[in-house]
Parts: sequence; structure tokens; C-alpha cells
Amino acid sequence: MTSNPITAPIDSASEFHKIQSRPASIEVKGITVSFKTPKGVFTAIKDIDLTIKKGEIVALIGHSGCGKSTLMGTISGMTAPTNGQVIANGAVVKGPGPDRGIVFQNYSLLPWLTVYKNIYEAVDSVFKDKTAAEKREIVEENLKMVNLWAHKDKLPGQLSGGMKQRVAIARAFAINPSILLLDEPFGALDALTKGSMHIELLKLWNLDNRNKTIVMVTHDIEEAIFLSDRVVVMNNGPEATIKEIVEIPLPRPRNKKEIVHDPIYMETHDKLMSLLFDKFSIEDE
Amino acid sequence: MKKLLNFQTYLPLLFGLGSTTLLLGAWWTVSLLTNNEIPNPLSTWTVFSEMLATPFYDYGPNDKGIGNQLFSSLLRVFSGFGAGSLLAIPLGLLIGSSKTAFRLINPIVQILRPVSPLAWFPLGLLAFKAAEGATVFIIFVTSLWPTLINTAFGVASIPQDHKNVAKAFGFSRWKYITKVIIPYALPHIITGLRLSIGVAWMVIVAGEMLSGGVGIGFFVWDSWNALSLEKILSAILIIGTVGLLLDKGFDWLQKRFAFS
Ligand SMILES: Nc1ncnc2c1ncn2[C@@H]1O[C@H](COP(=O)(O)OP(=O)(O)OP(=O)(O)O)[C@@H](O)[C@H]1O
Ligand SMILES: [Mg+2]
Repeated sequence: MTSNPITAPIDSASEFHKIQSRPASIEVKGITVSFKTPKGVFTAIKDIDLTIKKGEIVALIGHSGCGKSTLMGTISGMTAPTNGQVIANGAVVKGPGPDRGIVFQNYSLLPWLTVYKNIYEAVDSVFKDKTAAEKREIVEENLKMVNLWAHKDKLPGQLSGGMKQRVAIARAFAINPSILLLDEPFGALDALTKGSMHIELLKLWNLDNRNKTIVMVTHDIEEAIFLSDRVVVMNNGPEATIKEIVEIPLPRPRNKKEIVHDPIYMETHDKLMSLLFDKFSIEDE
Repeated sequence: MKKLLNFQTYLPLLFGLGSTTLLLGAWWTVSLLTNNEIPNPLSTWTVFSEMLATPFYDYGPNDKGIGNQLFSSLLRVFSGFGAGSLLAIPLGLLIGSSKTAFRLINPIVQILRPVSPLAWFPLGLLAFKAAEGATVFIIFVTSLWPTLINTAFGVASIPQDHKNVAKAFGFSRWKYITKVIIPYALPHIITGLRLSIGVAWMVIVAGEMLSGGVGIGFFVWDSWNALSLEKILSAILIIGTVGLLLDKGFDWLQKRFAFS
């Protein structure tokens, strides 16, 4: 696995460009998603093209309701596109698969299963050939990673929003997918927990020699810059498209405290802000 | 403040006493108005306590203790109800999860559900060649509907979120049924069972009046023939109490399996 020269951890500024020379992990080709509603057909996203390389971290930002979750759904295979196709790991996406781990925006835990069981059932479904002991080990490892081992016997109803979110994250990580699809995974977390989850996410990514592709929806610009290689900014719907893709050429590893003083960071932050909020400033004038 | 708290704890007891007084008062009034043709609570109580003193005697086919009668009835109720549930739950799971099954089976359910238990009795006799089997049969055929309908409704109302989990993580059909469908539908299933046992207990009295033999329904009929209204009233009290206990039992189950 580590025979690929690019997979070794790279801490130079040129790393970003090397990522671009990697094979594609996800290819979104001309995706349109329309919903049938009582008021007629509603086209949420239209003609979206996006190629994400293997090992790349991409953040998806845009105003609420613009179609981020819908686009994620077509990659995960939960939503069938009306037009176009998504290719993940070289195969056309026809439905969800164990190569893509999903963290749903609303956590989607089964309320009658304990925290432990919620993860175990997913692990059990995906790793059919592993022994029960091996599966239990995977669950334990991932629950400890999100600091929830002490709460393993609780039911989701007894957890806070942030805790539920961490269970959902542990569940997606536990099936060890090559593509992680995270829909606002840290949205309900306080700044402190969020910070440590960022570190855990990057740790995991480094551990696997930065081979995992991560697509993440977020409303947090700092988070998007800190974590990702590229930030995809979407237009407002209906018929939302990609407004612009902003590259984040900051070297890794990135230090959260120092990075904010980096001129590239500040420049990118400003750019993303104006991309998201141009509408408001025009109205203000 | 302390006094108020004390009062609050005795409140259920006071209300219990209140409704008992209300019932006895109404009963006594009727009794007085009918010139004791309807026996009053006191004379009923005399007969009732005699019945309860030796509940399990057995002096031949037509003279058995109230305990024996009750036991026979409960046995029939649980046989018919059990068999009905064994059919209703899986069928409900099927109807709830498949639109085709629903469209195919729902009309049949709608036609058969309102049929009176008594109408089924001759069919039971024909099929089982015995009154015993026929009684269990009518309980079976009338008590399965609430469970069937509630189960189907429970399954059909599974939120998309829960289905998404199964889809996203590739649950097998078996895992989907045991870890998603059944746990979600369980409270609905128990509600159905609770309604079903209520129906079964209502039907048993009518069934046994037709079938004869041993049982609380037969006991009522027999007491009528012997013109012992005290015994009939006692039986009514017993039927009501047992029905209440059955309902409480399923209520307890319902609370036990409610997740939140
Ligand atoms: N199943 C559906 N049926 C009809 N319309 C839908 C459906 N799912 C989404 N939409 C519509 O598509 C649009 C995009 O929804 P989507 O959930 O993708 O937004 P989002 O960008 O993820 O928003 P948020 O940031 O609030 O999560 C919205 O206008 C929404 O109303
Ligand atoms: Mg969303």
C-alpha cells in the first residue's frame, strides 16, 4: 500500500500540487437532481461537475438549502441523480457502499440501540468475514477515539447533540471507508470538542498515509480552511451550481494557532467570506 | 405544605373509594327500584364470597368452581389470541413493508374485520367438529385484526432516517428486520396485542354461551338457567376485573418496551 511515493506524509508546501497529480477518487459528472413536489418539479442542483483526487480533503460550503446535502447524497448513493453520474473509486455509483462512510447531517442513530450497538451493527454489516472479537475491537477503538467509551451503554436519547454526532463519526470511521462523506459533522460541537475532533480527523487521515478522501459540508469557514485542500463554494438554489473552487495552498501539518496569522490564510478567509456574502454587501450599499 | 403532600398521596385512594361508592350507590338504587329483582350488592357479596371460598371444586361437568371456569376461559382466550398473534404479527410486518402486499391483503382485512364473532362460530364447528375448537377459532379470527393493523401501521411509519442507516451501512435483510423494523414497530405491536386481548376477552363470554362446557361465559348462562342473578352479577364483576388485569399487564409491557 505504501509503495506509492506520494503516500508518505509530506510536509512541504508543494504537497498540494502533488495531490492534484493523484488518481481521481470521486468524479461528479453533470449531476442534476430534481425533486417531485406537490407544486411541481424542483431542481435543487444542476449540471454539477467536480473531480476530487484520492487523499484530498474537500470542504463544501454554501447557504442553507442550496443543495450541499443533495450533492453529498448523490456521491454516497443515497440519492439517485436525475441526470449525470458519479464515479467513486472507478465505479459508477448506483447506491451506498462500504467504500463510502457517511455521517448524516441529522446523525441518524437507531434510538433503540446503545451507542456501542449502533456502531457494532454497522461494523458487523460491513466486515462480514471478521470474527466477533475483531469487530468488537474495531468498535472499541473508534469509540475511544471520539471519547465516548465511558458512554457506550447509553441510548442515543440519553446523549447530547455533540455526543450523538461523535457516535455518527465513530460509526463512519469504524467501517474504514476509502471515502468519508461528512455532512456538517462538527456542527453541534463546542469549539473545544470541535478542535479535538479536527485533530482526530487529521490523525486518522495521516495514519492511513493520507489515502482517504474526505468530503465535508460545513458552515464554518475557519474549519474549512484549516482542514481542506480545496473549498467548493456553491451558489444559492434552486438549480444551484458550483460558484467557485478555492484552493488552500497552506502547508501541512497545519497549526491552528499559527495558521491564522499566515497571509495566505487571511487572504483565503476574506475571499471565502466575500464569495458567501457578496449578496449582502451589495444590498447594503 | 407537608399536609398538602400527604393529601396528594392519598388522592388516588380517595378517588378509588369515590368511584366504588358511586358504583355501589347506583347498583343499590337499581336494586331498590326493581324491588330486589336485581340483587343488591350485599346479597351479591354473600354469594360472591361463597364462590371465592371454594374456587376449585369439581362436582362433575355441570358443577365446577369459579376458579376452574375462569381457568378454562383464560386457556381458550390465550390459545386463540396466541394463534391469532402468531399469524397477525408476521403478516402485519409483511403488509407494512410491502406496498404490493398491502394492496393485495388490505381489502380482505377490511371485509373480514367487522364480521361478528358469532357469525364465525358455525364455520368453526364445521372445521373442528367440536365446540371447543370452534370457540378458540372465533377468538383467533376476531382478535387478530388489531394486532395485524397496528403492526402494519408501525412498520409503514418507520422514519426515512432509520431506513437510511440500514441502506448506508448495507444491513442484510435479516438485520434490517431484527434491528430496524421490529424494534421500531414493537410499541405498535404491543398496542395491537393489548387491543386484541381486550377483544378476545369480550368474545369469550359470547363464545362459551354458544358452546357450553366449562368457562365463565357458560357459567353466566348456567346461572341464568338456575335463576341466580347474584351469580351472574358476581361473574360480571370477575369478568370485568380479569379484563382490567389483562389490560394492565399489556400496559406494563408497553411501558417496558417504549424507547425514547
Ligand atoms: N426529498 C426532497 N424533496 C423535495 N425537495 C427537497 C428534498 N430534499 C431536498 N430538497 C430541497 O432541495 C434543496 C437543497 O436541499 P439540501 O438539503 O441539499 O440543502 P443543504 O445545502 O444541505 O442545506 P443545509 O445547509 O440547511 O443543510 C432545498 O431547497 C430542499 O428544500
Ligand atoms: Mg444539508
